[in-house]
Amino acid sequence: MSDATFTIVAAIVKILLIWAIALAALLPNLVWAERRGAGMIQDRPGPNRVGPFGLFQAVADVIKLFMKEDVTPTYVDKLLYNLAPWITMMPALVTFAVIPFGAPLDVTLGGVTRHVPLIIADVNIGILYIFAFSSLGIYGIVLAGWASNNKYSMMGGLRASAQIISYELSMGFAAASTFLVAGSLRLPAVVEWQQSHVWNVVPQFFGFLIFLIAVFAETNRLPFDLAEAEAELVAGFHTEYSAFKFGMFFMGEYANIIAASGLVVTSTSAAGRSRGSPSPASGEPSRRSPSSSRRRSRSSPSSSGSAGRSPASGTTSSWTWAGRSSSRSPSST
Amino acid sequence: MEGAAMNAVVPMTVPLNAYLAVGTILFVIGLAGALLKRNTLSIFLSIELMMNAVNLLVLAYARMRGDATGQMVVFFVIAIAAAEAAVGLAIFVALFRTRRTIDVDRLSSLKW
Amino acid sequence: MSLELVVFAIASGLAIVSALAMVVVKTPVKSVISLVLTFFALAVLSILLSAPFIAALQVIVYAGAILVLFLFVVMLLNLTQEAEGHDERPIQKLLGLVTVVALGGLLLGVTLKAGAPPVPAAGGPIGNVTDEIPILGRLLFSDHLLAFEALSVLLLLAAVGALILSKRRFD
Repeated sequence: MSDATFTIVAAIVKILLIWAIALAALLPNLVWAERRGAGMIQDRPGPNRVGPFGLFQAVADVIKLFMKEDVTPTYVDKLLYNLAPWITMMPALVTFAVIPFGAPLDVTLGGVTRHVPLIIADVNIGILYIFAFSSLGIYGIVLAGWASNNKYSMMGGLRASAQIISYELSMGFAAASTFLVAGSLRLPAVVEWQQSHVWNVVPQFFGFLIFLIAVFAETNRLPFDLAEAEAELVAGFHTEYSAFKFGMFFMGEYANIIAASGLVVTSTSAAGRSRGSPSPASGEPSRRSPSSSRRRSRSSPSSSGSAGRSPASGTTSSWTWAGRSSSRSPSST
Repeated sequence: MEGAAMNAVVPMTVPLNAYLAVGTILFVIGLAGALLKRNTLSIFLSIELMMNAVNLLVLAYARMRGDATGQMVVFFVIAIAAAEAAVGLAIFVALFRTRRTIDVDRLSSLKW
Repeated sequence: MSLELVVFAIASGLAIVSALAMVVVKTPVKSVISLVLTFFALAVLSILLSAPFIAALQVIVYAGAILVLFLFVVMLLNLTQEAEGHDERPIQKLLGLVTVVALGGLLLGVTLKAGAPPVPAAGGPIGNVTDEIPILGRLLFSDHLLAFEALSVLLLLAAVGALILSKRRFD
């Protein structure tokens, strides 16, 4: 398998993995927490029929939404009405591409060991890419509100977009401080910095708080749910949507939440000590953990970073920031 | 493109003339919009398109020369365009409130 | 048929088609949306030209802020249709078309025929280096510091001016 095909196959595998984990595994949990979890807090049952403890409620919801009749009102602007859910869904899915989800792996396939970074696209404008696409996500909400030809939708759309624009600024500044200390706009660079220094939550605690609040506003969650405002605006900008399109708004919102949470965690509290490798800053002995890797049969012993302390080959693989932790000292930029 | 020291800069895979052609065509389309439309907002949008076409041309030349100053120019142009759009739209909103029309022919009270 | 050529062809085709759509379409809202698409395609072209920072800026500032401002103005003032063109002036349209075609042809001819100016012997960082954002940052704060500070004053003036110009007079 040549290098080019390996890169493409690796990218596809990573994308499928992200979709499987984020959308198929995390999203139902979020829906459960919002409905059943909130029900437990509020001393009421919540959905408890579909699976054990109502865990498969999200699956039932999605199936229902796909099967429902799609009602399109008569006086809507057809092109914009049909386009808006896709525009809302797009940033939610695309933002996952620059968030790293693990330390780089060394994969051996057919005798050739390749270094696979566990990030779909390591662009050198990492955080700006995320800001760019969340700015484009405004259009979905505004167009949904406008195209529905409905006063409540219009108000909901305008309110939501005004809110998102306002909090983009705070989010940008709070995120920028974490990237300033790391010296690069790439998310893996921030993780590396945190790995060799300290989690960004600790020195920049108020920045973290502001970031968190701004992310609540960006994703239209309570108490910033001016967009939906179930008590005030019928259903806000997605009043006139039903079935599959509403399902896309619904899933897009939760995917956005997951991506934004991933961003917050990556920039402020990422990177525990990688298993089996000494920390480059402190030089303390590595913790030998009984690790199992996902690619146990195809993994190779860690290549450069472990300096001889890695366990025997073949049984475990140590996840190191191989090649980088050894060549970059904390003092170099 | 021939230059004495072309191998000093990584050559572009897509030829420079292709970028110049695209930029010029976009500029001409923006010009057409600015001259032929009667809706003030559309004229405004066409002017923004013209500025972006020029941005593309500057970036193409910057890439050809390997000079980062071109990207600086584009950076400043984007920021200035933002400021100009804000003020222009404020003027437009103020004008619309009194005149109640967006037809640029009817807003032309400065002409004889 | 390298990947760059394919991406260039798709992005420039999209840019030209949506720019034409912006000029042709009647509703202002659809105009703005086609311009968003044009700017997105231009951002892709900027990435091809080793300017990812400018590409991100273009989407964040232009497509994500300025055009949203346009969209707000259109929606809040309820400018739903094209200005009524009952007194069409065909001569004006014809003259405009002739001017555009003539000027366009002239520009295209001059640009494509002029060729490239001679490349400086030292070569440059853009295209040669993987990460040019530190270079841009260094340039911005050393060579162009005055312009940068003037730009921030300009932005402040623009914000204040826009606020004052669009205030309602409650007299």
